[in-house]
Amino acid sequence: MQTKLNKLINELEAKLKTVETVNDLMVLKAEYSGKKSIFNDLMKELKDTPKEERPKFGQMINDAKTKIAEMIEIAKSDLEIKMIEEKLIAETIDVSLPGKKYNIGSKHLISQVIEEVEDIFLGLGYTVKEGPEVESDLYNFEMLNLPKDHPARDMQDSLYISEELLLRTHTSPVQIRSLLENKNQEPMKIICPGKVYRKDDDDQTHSHQFTQIEALVVDDKVSLADLKGTLLFIAKKLFGEEREIRLRPSYFPFTEPSVEVDVTCYKCGGAGCSMCGQTGWIEILGAGMVNNNVLKAAGYDPNVFQGFALGMGVERIAILKYGIDDIRAFYTNDLRFNKQFRGK
Amino acid sequence: MKVSLNWLKEYVDIGDDYKLLKDSYNLMSQEVEGLYKLVDINNLFIGKVLTCIKHPDADKLSVTTVDVGDEVLQIICGAPNVAVDQKVIVSKVGSVLPGNFKIKKSKIRGIESNGMICSLEELGVKEFDAEETGIYVLDPEAPIGGDPLAYMHLDDYVLDLDLTANRADLLSMEGVAYDTAAMLDKDIKIKKHKYDKKNVENSIKVFTDTKMCHAYYCQVIDNIKIKQSPYWLKSRLIAAGIRPINNVVDITNYVMIEYGQPMHAFDYNKLKSDEILIRHAKEGETIVTLDEQERKLLATDIVITDGRNPIAIAGVMGGLSTEVDGSTTKILLESACFDPICVRKTSKRLDLKSESSSRFEKGIDSDKIDNALHYATELFISLADGEVLGEYSFFDNCKKEPHYVELTLEKLNSITGHTFANNDVESILKRLRFNYREKNNLYRIEVPTRRKNVYGYQDVIEEIVRIFGYNKIPLTIPKTPTTGYLTAEQKLRRTVRNYFVNNGFNEIVSYSLVTPEQAIEFDLVDLPTIEILNPINKEKNLMRHSLLPSLLEILKYNQSRKISDIFLFEIGRSYFRDKEVELLSGVLTGVLSSNLWQGQKEVTDFYLLKGIIETLLAKLNIEDFEIVKTEKPISKMHPGICADLLISNEYIGYIGKLHPQKEFDLSIDKTYVFELNFEMLSKFYQTNIIMQDIPKYPTVSRDLAIVVGSDIQASDVIKEAKIAGKKTLKQLEIFDVYQGKNVDVNEKSIAMSLTFQNSEKTLETKEIDIIVNRILKHLEKTINAKLRQF
Repeated sequence: MQTKLNKLINELEAKLKTVETVNDLMVLKAEYSGKKSIFNDLMKELKDTPKEERPKFGQMINDAKTKIAEMIEIAKSDLEIKMIEEKLIAETIDVSLPGKKYNIGSKHLISQVIEEVEDIFLGLGYTVKEGPEVESDLYNFEMLNLPKDHPARDMQDSLYISEELLLRTHTSPVQIRSLLENKNQEPMKIICPGKVYRKDDDDQTHSHQFTQIEALVVDDKVSLADLKGTLLFIAKKLFGEEREIRLRPSYFPFTEPSVEVDVTCYKCGGAGCSMCGQTGWIEILGAGMVNNNVLKAAGYDPNVFQGFALGMGVERIAILKYGIDDIRAFYTNDLRFNKQFRGK
Repeated sequence: MKVSLNWLKEYVDIGDDYKLLKDSYNLMSQEVEGLYKLVDINNLFIGKVLTCIKHPDADKLSVTTVDVGDEVLQIICGAPNVAVDQKVIVSKVGSVLPGNFKIKKSKIRGIESNGMICSLEELGVKEFDAEETGIYVLDPEAPIGGDPLAYMHLDDYVLDLDLTANRADLLSMEGVAYDTAAMLDKDIKIKKHKYDKKNVENSIKVFTDTKMCHAYYCQVIDNIKIKQSPYWLKSRLIAAGIRPINNVVDITNYVMIEYGQPMHAFDYNKLKSDEILIRHAKEGETIVTLDEQERKLLATDIVITDGRNPIAIAGVMGGLSTEVDGSTTKILLESACFDPICVRKTSKRLDLKSESSSRFEKGIDSDKIDNALHYATELFISLADGEVLGEYSFFDNCKKEPHYVELTLEKLNSITGHTFANNDVESILKRLRFNYREKNNLYRIEVPTRRKNVYGYQDVIEEIVRIFGYNKIPLTIPKTPTTGYLTAEQKLRRTVRNYFVNNGFNEIVSYSLVTPEQAIEFDLVDLPTIEILNPINKEKNLMRHSLLPSLLEILKYNQSRKISDIFLFEIGRSYFRDKEVELLSGVLTGVLSSNLWQGQKEVTDFYLLKGIIETLLAKLNIEDFEIVKTEKPISKMHPGICADLLISNEYIGYIGKLHPQKEFDLSIDKTYVFELNFEMLSKFYQTNIIMQDIPKYPTVSRDLAIVVGSDIQASDVIKEAKIAGKKTLKQLEIFDVYQGKNVDVNEKSIAMSLTFQNSEKTLETKEIDIIVNRILKHLEKTINAKLRQF
């Protein structure tokens, strides 16, 4: 019996050496250990063996079975390793070949700055208001303390559609609309981003169309100090935490007092350089306390309410932040320009 | 306003620290545009020409010797007017003239030259004497070796202020002096004017029949001699940016700068009567103004007349018929106040903006009208040898009572957020020369007539704060309790923008004003446009109806710069008479993604565009949409490659390929476009999502190929299959469309993959067979489809 079994094992050993695939191995496995395997015959033989020898033979058969199972298992795992190794070799590629090229999308710089400024103000509890670009003279000028034939109208040369309609010259009419909409005269903090138009010839520093963001706060105790604190916060968020601001007197018909706001030059830190014209300061926006005539025009009692407003040019902010030297670049949309600002 | 600092020093002791003055203006008053030396040249000397002979080797050159005080220089001079005994301006070796012209020791045709005799032009002040063509010859009294700039009063600094529209008071030297004194906390010396007059009755009578003339003063001055103004007056005018002409014109300009009061001089002998009548012009009346233009007037214009004919347009420009010229000996000097709006309207309409009209427009100081007349009279006596005939004639209806403003300390502190003490406020009001009375913290402030812009308490607060210093105001954040959020539409704008950017599109922003053709070329129906009455560019005078023309222009711009793969989108408004509609539009052409060595190239076609739009809708959770062939596409679109997007049966916009003709016209190629109504998208945008259970039972797929008539649209197949497939058919995807061998000429084969699922149980093969058969039968019935036999 043992001889038979040994022969069997030797036979298998030889066959295993030639097996190349798992499939072939499974055929062998069936032959040597399955239900219809050689062991079936041996088991039958076991029945014919004298009773006292049966345990001994049985033991032999079981040992052989275990041995065969082990051998097949080892062969299987060897085969698998070999297969994976072959696969690895076959699949190896040149990783230095170029990857797939996608067109790189980009948000327009104007959108980027609007979103950035919106996010700053959203965090301070402001909502975003929008209004029409074709606007009435009433909302664009008259209710903003700019009556017809006021010399300050020269500050904003306008594109007219009719005597009473024009392309808005600033986003301030949205302030008027929002004040009027606010029937219960609740405290209000809003920003108004949007396109505005002036009768200017396009050149390096002028554009007949540009973008503004205005902010308006109206409540019973809003002060110039609140305006200053808000301006400093915005300047730091937009131009860096080390920035400081200063206010200079200015004039806008819709605010009184009115100020221009400068931020310390982010290039030289205030020491003076070519960027800031050696002054250490860069003008970023205009602001002021809401003129009583504006409050009155919108039906607010100046004895109860006071407020501040500020307005910035979106292109100007981008020009300063990114060192752009020609405002027309925003509207030319040369993709070699637009694609540079793809980070956001 | 260009401020001569020598002039300003007559009023206020500003010291020598001009930087402090500049910083004070910047931080307390008006932006300083510049602070510069009127003539910035060193090493200039007054010289006397001792000898002057022709250069032996050059016809046009002279060899001179010039005594410059401590030495005699040999100088070659090219000016034809150089002559012995002249007092001239010499720039010695080492001086630098404007244009970085360095004076060096040199040899000109063999003869040494040690400096240059200068013309006014070379000094950069040609306007000092417009008639002088060669070198400038100083008067004989000029001291040899002296500083010519000091002698000519050109040794001055100019502070150039960029004035805001409200500060009319700073259009005068006196006003600048008041502000300077307030800022620097200094005294101010106010000038007084006195002159002798003959004791004769003034024959001039002044009348008005319009309220638009608030005051009119005039003085007759006889025996005047027209000549050049003295050096000091010329230099002051040049510093102020005004060209000297002759003493009469210069005096009126000088007084205007001093007091902000425009003046005018008429040639008295050219007046037709002794009666000055100020009235409205007659409609259509004409006057030839000093610039020799005939001006047609309206009844809203105000004119000065000599009782009969207009002799000046009030506050705007004088008439040619009464112009002062070289032979004038007697003048009528005018100092008046006209209605600001009236002057503004007339000067705007006639496009005649002048130093005079801009001062009237902004409002002059009603307290200075007579003062200016007296000062000018004084100057005519001293500088033009004039004689004054009697008292001046006038009427004056200007409000002379002071304007009072009340301000409480509490309001000041509430508006500024700073706690002012009474003595802070009082010291500032004193510096501003604002008289006041205070009782229980209530200030009653008397505003000087020069400060027309200080009207309400907010204006007084501004005055106090600017002098106090904005830098001393604290920094706080409003305590206003509000919440900050974006509306659904504002959020959607960001979502859509991010979607396109993430899919390789570049966002653009373009102009709203377009050409008449562009404004309407993508219109489906005729809608009126919005036209600009006063366009900058007559070509681009309409507000756009579509974003596509601008997008295509930008595509073309980039394509002509050798960029061939272009994917652009814009979210922007279109403008109609009654509304503004926000659109989402785009243009695309070329390769979206590629890997060439692998042979991969995702080239733009209709189905790429369609997929981008479908995926956008999926992202926005909009399910009930259809993209259907456009029945009547607009003429700029390819009629065979254009489809409409409908959401819940509402029209949203279209996608498709540009018409080949349009492509040809623009010289662009294979361009696909889309234009969708963003507001409608926003209306259907679904943000309310409720979780649905993930199906427990498996999906089963079956492939099916049918043959249909070639006119049948894929959408018909999908629609009908979905009807028959009911709820169990979860998904249908077309994976092959075939025409050709083994399929009839008028037919096509469509292969699709159907996915079934039942949320209640696992589907049995038999059940699926039944559904597939049902679909096939339905397709046969509705679109005459047959199962494809292979």
